[in-house]
Amino acid sequence: MKEDLLNKIAEILEVEEITMEDELNSFDEWDSLTGLSIIALVDSDYKKTLSNDQIKEFITVGDLVAFILD
Amino acid sequence: MHLNFKNKKITGILSVLPANEINYVDEIGNYNFSEKQSLKLGKIMGYGTRRIVNEGTTVSDLCSYGLNYLFEKNLLDKDSIGAVVLCTQSPDQFLPATSNIIAGKVNLNEDVISLDINQGCAGYEVGLMQAFMLLNTGSINKVVLLNADILSKKISIKDRNSRPLVGDGASVTIIENSNDNEEIDLFIKMDGTGAFSLQIPAGGFKLPSTEQTAELVEDVAGNLRALDHLVMKGDEVFNFVQTKVPEMLFDMFEKLGIDKTYFDYYFFHQPNKFMLEKLAEKINIPYEKMPNNICEKYGNGSNITVPLNICENLGAKALTESYRVCLGGFGVGLTWSLIKWKLEKLDFCKIINY
Repeated sequence: MKEDLLNKIAEILEVEEITMEDELNSFDEWDSLTGLSIIALVDSDYKKTLSNDQIKEFITVGDLVAFILD
Repeated sequence: MHLNFKNKKITGILSVLPANEINYVDEIGNYNFSEKQSLKLGKIMGYGTRRIVNEGTTVSDLCSYGLNYLFEKNLLDKDSIGAVVLCTQSPDQFLPATSNIIAGKVNLNEDVISLDINQGCAGYEVGLMQAFMLLNTGSINKVVLLNADILSKKISIKDRNSRPLVGDGASVTIIENSNDNEEIDLFIKMDGTGAFSLQIPAGGFKLPSTEQTAELVEDVAGNLRALDHLVMKGDEVFNFVQTKVPEMLFDMFEKLGIDKTYFDYYFFHQPNKFMLEKLAEKINIPYEKMPNNICEKYGNGSNITVPLNICENLGAKALTESYRVCLGGFGVGLTWSLIKWKLEKLDFCKIINY
């Protein structure tokens, strides 16, 4: 479940692999479009609603993953 | 709210688009983002070409041009019109109503009722609802529904959030009484607590336009816009559409005892391709059933996307075939609405340039 989600996030960020400790701001592709892609992913695959304001609160990949899988 | 109507038919749809076409890639330099970022955005969201009015062109210009075209081609008899309903959020002026201006321009007689409705993304469904109610009076046999917007005039050229989506245009739909006994079901909901998710803050009576409201300010994402410009909370609107529209659709299926295969087409409002693809995935229907090509070809013309969608994707086929359609609008208000209807053979279904 977690591995699958990490792969999906890595795909959106256009990197080979990511770890829970990586900071979201450190990725070149981390912008408003990535944010929307993640909102769409969370909506379709995890049946959750995520806003831009919430995304801004997440520091690491782990923060994001914890919210999605909670 | 669920409203039921019967014995109404659309007999023709005409879309009027400004001839002036602009291309997304030509505007990338205006934005505070790298070319690579903007190209990626364009690819995912489906940004291509858009139709934009020239300086000075108004909603009444586009609508009266379309009406005169129909009069001249003998596709619409001026004396048969009982009412003109205009849905727009880009009126020529605050007063008079733009539909009055149009009636004067095309010289409609004094018995024709002219009404403006302030609706945008769901303007086609709300306009049809008003048309049905006018036809239900028994005294009116033909309603002309006009949907028009030129919101490109209210969008900052440095706003990558909204600028690449928006196009301009008008459409003319003729709705008449019929004897076919076909049921029309209209589902509509509104949530005023989301009224400011999509807005133009300044320029009305509350905050008149001044030098200050025209000042460009940068937002957290790097877009520059003024209070005079349209502003959209993209994430809120996305979540609203992906939650509320499927909910309403599944409710409709249940109430009417139908399923997703009932409809030949889902002609929905088209904010962008991405949003429509996600909706189709959620409803689990093939992309072809819910066309998503309007925004990338003409831009999102707010009020006009549904009629333009029909003109573009059915076109001349609508003159010889009938289709079971689900019409859908969602956005500013917040308003969302679905209509189950059978589209009988039309007298005209086409796009012309202004």
